Amino acid sequence: MSATTFAWLALAMPLAGTLVLALGYRSLPGRSAGWIGTGTIVLAFVAALGALLELQDRAPAHRALTSSLWSYAVTAGIDARVSILVDPLSVFMLLVVSGVSALIHLYSVSYMDSDRGYARYFSYLNFFVFSMLLLVLAGNFLLLIVGWAFVGAASYLLISFWYRRSTATRAGIKAFVINVVGDVGLVLGTYFIFKHTHTLDLRGSFHAASAGAFVGGSGNGDLIAGCVLLLVGAFAKSAQIPLHTWLPDAMEGPTPVSALIHAATMVTAGVYLIARMHPLFERAPAAQDVGAVIGAATLLVAGTVGLAQVDIKRVIAYSTMSQIGYMIMGVSVGAYAAGLFHLMTHAFFKALLFMAAGSLIGAMAGEQSLQRMGGFRKALPFTYASFLIGGLALAGVPPFSGFFSKDEILLVTGERGGWHWALYVVGYLGALLTAVYTFRMVFRAFHGAPVAEARELERGHPHHAEVPRNPATGEPEDTDVGFPGPHHAIAERALPMRAAMALLAVGSIGAGALQIPHVDFVIDDFLRPSFGDSSLYATHGRDWLLVLGLSLGTALGLAGIAIAYRVWVMRPGSAARVRARARPLYELFVHAWYFDELIAALIARPAVAAGRFARDTFERRVVDDALIGGTTTLIRAGSAAVRAAQSGFVRYYAALLVLGVTGVGFYFLLQS
Amino acid sequence: MSAVALASAHLKGPHVDFGGLAPLLALLGGAVVVLLAGLIGSRWVRAQVVPTLSLLALGSALGLTIWQWDARKSVVSGALRIDDLSLASNLVLIAGGACAVLLAWRSLAAREAAHGEWHALLLSSIGGMSLLACAQNTVAVFLGLELLSIPLYVLCATELRREHSLESGLKYLIVGSVGSATFLYGLAMIYGATGKTDFGAIAGALARASLASDPLTLTGIALCVAGLCFKASVAPFHQWTPDVYEGAPTPVTGFMAVATKVAALAVFVRLFDVAFIPAHHSWGPAVAALATITIVVGNVGALGQSSLKRMLAYSSVAQAGYMLAGIVVATRLGVQATVFYLAVYVAMNMAAFAVIVARERQTGWGDAIDAVAGLGRERPLLALSMTISMLALAGIPATAGFTGKFYLIDAAVSGGYTWLGVVIVIGSMISLGYYLPVLAAMWMRPAPAGAGRRGDPPGPGAEALPALAGGSPELEPEAQGAVEPPWQARGERVLGAQPEVALVAIAAALATIFFGIIPQPLFELVHGAGRALGLL
Repeated sequence: MSATTFAWLALAMPLAGTLVLALGYRSLPGRSAGWIGTGTIVLAFVAALGALLELQDRAPAHRALTSSLWSYAVTAGIDARVSILVDPLSVFMLLVVSGVSALIHLYSVSYMDSDRGYARYFSYLNFFVFSMLLLVLAGNFLLLIVGWAFVGAASYLLISFWYRRSTATRAGIKAFVINVVGDVGLVLGTYFIFKHTHTLDLRGSFHAASAGAFVGGSGNGDLIAGCVLLLVGAFAKSAQIPLHTWLPDAMEGPTPVSALIHAATMVTAGVYLIARMHPLFERAPAAQDVGAVIGAATLLVAGTVGLAQVDIKRVIAYSTMSQIGYMIMGVSVGAYAAGLFHLMTHAFFKALLFMAAGSLIGAMAGEQSLQRMGGFRKALPFTYASFLIGGLALAGVPPFSGFFSKDEILLVTGERGGWHWALYVVGYLGALLTAVYTFRMVFRAFHGAPVAEARELERGHPHHAEVPRNPATGEPEDTDVGFPGPHHAIAERALPMRAAMALLAVGSIGAGALQIPHVDFVIDDFLRPSFGDSSLYATHGRDWLLVLGLSLGTALGLAGIAIAYRVWVMRPGSAARVRARARPLYELFVHAWYFDELIAALIARPAVAAGRFARDTFERRVVDDALIGGTTTLIRAGSAAVRAAQSGFVRYYAALLVLGVTGVGFYFLLQS
Repeated sequence: MSAVALASAHLKGPHVDFGGLAPLLALLGGAVVVLLAGLIGSRWVRAQVVPTLSLLALGSALGLTIWQWDARKSVVSGALRIDDLSLASNLVLIAGGACAVLLAWRSLAAREAAHGEWHALLLSSIGGMSLLACAQNTVAVFLGLELLSIPLYVLCATELRREHSLESGLKYLIVGSVGSATFLYGLAMIYGATGKTDFGAIAGALARASLASDPLTLTGIALCVAGLCFKASVAPFHQWTPDVYEGAPTPVTGFMAVATKVAALAVFVRLFDVAFIPAHHSWGPAVAALATITIVVGNVGALGQSSLKRMLAYSSVAQAGYMLAGIVVATRLGVQATVFYLAVYVAMNMAAFAVIVARERQTGWGDAIDAVAGLGRERPLLALSMTISMLALAGIPATAGFTGKFYLIDAAVSGGYTWLGVVIVIGSMISLGYYLPVLAAMWMRPAPAGAGRRGDPPGPGAEALPALAGGSPELEPEAQGAVEPPWQARGERVLGAQPEVALVAIAAALATIFFGIIPQPLFELVHGAGRALGLL
């Protein structure tokens, strides 16, 4: 079978799973829905491996294959085909997405066990994987947009999964609205590009761009506008400033969903988009600079916010934003392989962190606040080990995977020179913050004196809340439907969860070995064919910068851990003292730099006010009365007239026939 | 003696290519066989074998059509043209005919009219349509038109004991005859002006001389427009449509709605885009104006109808208006769009009519919108088919109706009739006003209380039962409802008591969705049809 056949199979599996689960949910007993959902994704991963092997058999210059299943609309000016593009970049994404998804499905088999919507959950999750694979395999802009919108919809469905929680439904709506802003950006950007390239096909567009479709080179306004609009899409999907506010709220979804969608896969779609569109972005350096600056700003802002949050899932969510900031910055400065490498390692360790957090939340019976946690080291040894591995990888401590991938991004950034040095400094500042907030979580949740729940668990009694409460608001939950169920899973007690976490832990530790400077360049070499036309790809030079970066990264990671240890373990009161001394700064961080309030004040509230005004004046008078009222009156009158003419008497029909013939005849005679 | 021999030596009969005529012969031969089979005494043979035989006839016509694929030839001295357009129309007609046979399998109409005769009439009507679709000679056109119409007049009246059915047949006969006469008069004037009957020769004559602006020609064209508009139920010649559709037995209505339209528009395409093409500048705007009137009248008239068949009648008027847009522009793209929409139109409407047939037999509400209330809960598959059909008729994306409408608008815009495209869009907007209430009734309203199902003890709704309770000696007992097993039985949950009706509904709905997502096969079919006429 060819690589494209494997890719189609990888796409077909989750779709089949979705349909089977969605249509057959009533007749699936026990955990079978979970196993079906997991099985299809595992098969998709196997198909992705097949695609990888087939692709590697080909000469590097011929590793980009397009396959069209059928033409949707191929007429003058439009070439909308259902086509996929299989090249190293898409196969890389295919492997990461299907691999991590398979593990998270496996984890969910246990984690969602007592949920009322077990089959619904897995059909949504399979639908998400299908959409995400469609997004990364899309061979033209049309399918890309379809996949892009589908993952947004899947994300909405899963964030609002426990739909009896008003916080969850609100978060879902917020995520959906902001994602649609991004969709609009993507669609408009596509228009700007299509206008010049006259093809929807991705490779065709890139060829057209290199053949000079955009007159005026890097100063072409349409190209810059198109690329910036694509960036809007990427920012919304990848939670970058200023379209990032939905991601922390999205933590209302089940924890495996946070691991899969809001950490490992969907939010990295923006990174993939920029990497995929690099032939366009490299012709529009202005757009690249926008991406790099926004990425750097996000990584710093999110890092500072992560320091102040107390909800463990929110801390990890801000950390995700920050890490994706690194990736966006990386692919925007031309560090494609490094950015994608970080995407992969981040998928491993962030999914692992979320899974461990899920286990911890299970032990706390749904409670997510760090302030109520503590001392779980003995009660949850496996979870602790996993969290620690994920944390060390996130903090960038050698030899864990995050160390290599993050430093690679910053190395390429530094090599660009000029004002990119500012980004370099910001990146390392962010690395310090990352280490601090990561180990703040580790020390607060696992070290110190055990809380009551931890002590109970040590004696073998997992804690269950008497009245299930919404962790965000503390309201008692409606336990009827749209509710997680009374039991919360703990990794120590569920083999599927442990298996998934163990595999991810191996990835978090070992994946860095794929690309070690001066040792091996697996990722670089594998992705090279996809970036063959890039002038920025993998230009390794200055060794002193490499040595500086690696030692700086190590030092900052360890320093961050040391700071966290000093503040939260050695002198437990010092955090409060710092808070008191730097009150305004703390307020800024804990309110996430007031972005929610800013967006509300600048956009939401004026829009609501304008809407209210328009409703009271324009809509009531003009739309309701004149337009709708007028139109309906007109159409009603027409309807009445037609029915009045429909008397049922043949003689009238014949008369109208004669009249009609006369009219038509009269018209024609006027022509002569 | 020698004179006769001399005469026959001079009078050489035309060479007949039986290969090209084969699908038509299969249909007409099938009609004879079915008629004879209907004379056999056994009730089982009449009720089961006869419909099977007519399906066989349709099947063999289908096979022969596919056998003739890629043929581009004129047969019978150029009276008929076998090309991609006529073959594509044949396919669509046969599909519509097969659906009609399935819908009529247990219908009262076929029983009352003695099965053999009913099916023979149906087959000869399809034969007429097939003839019309390939006619390229005014004589053949008229022959086809009458062969199509006369059996239909009778078919409309086949529920012999129902007043409305008889009224429908009679009305159709009277108004239809006026239409036919108008058309014939028009053809006669064309012949008078050009001295030709062949389409190509007429076009040649119109192009050479300044005949294209001759009053006689133009009057002829005007009368032809009126006559064909009558057959295609284009306003203001549409008035028979709601009355006839409502009164006729539902399987016949379904057949008329789709097949007549296919045949009428196919001949419209051929007559106007081949024979009258030199006069395009004078008939184009007129037909565009008629299309606009049709779209407005059809959509506005359908609003607020409580009878589903009547609503679909007006909807079919509106759809005819959309399809005229493809003819008005007289381009290859226009022909393609029209043929595409015709194919889609058959699928969309058949799904709806099949659901109506199923409900008519199960509830006492006839074809009123109440008959489908609560259908989503009772028979989700039927409700889903109806939903797809309504959404497709309204032109919602991911259904073939959207693709077809998009194609038509594309054709109108690139043919210089942008305003007509706008009219189509406005018409579609209005059309949601009567398609969506059907969906609302199916999914959001409970079944009306006292929906006197057949077999239920007579309740408050029993008076609403159609006045056929008298029955006839021909009637099998289950038709009167007493013996019919309750349809809710376990095995019937999926397909219901009339598996063939549900099959038609589901298959048509699936086709609608399939061609909405994968339109390529249909595009390829219509590309050939577009090339057949030699337009730009």
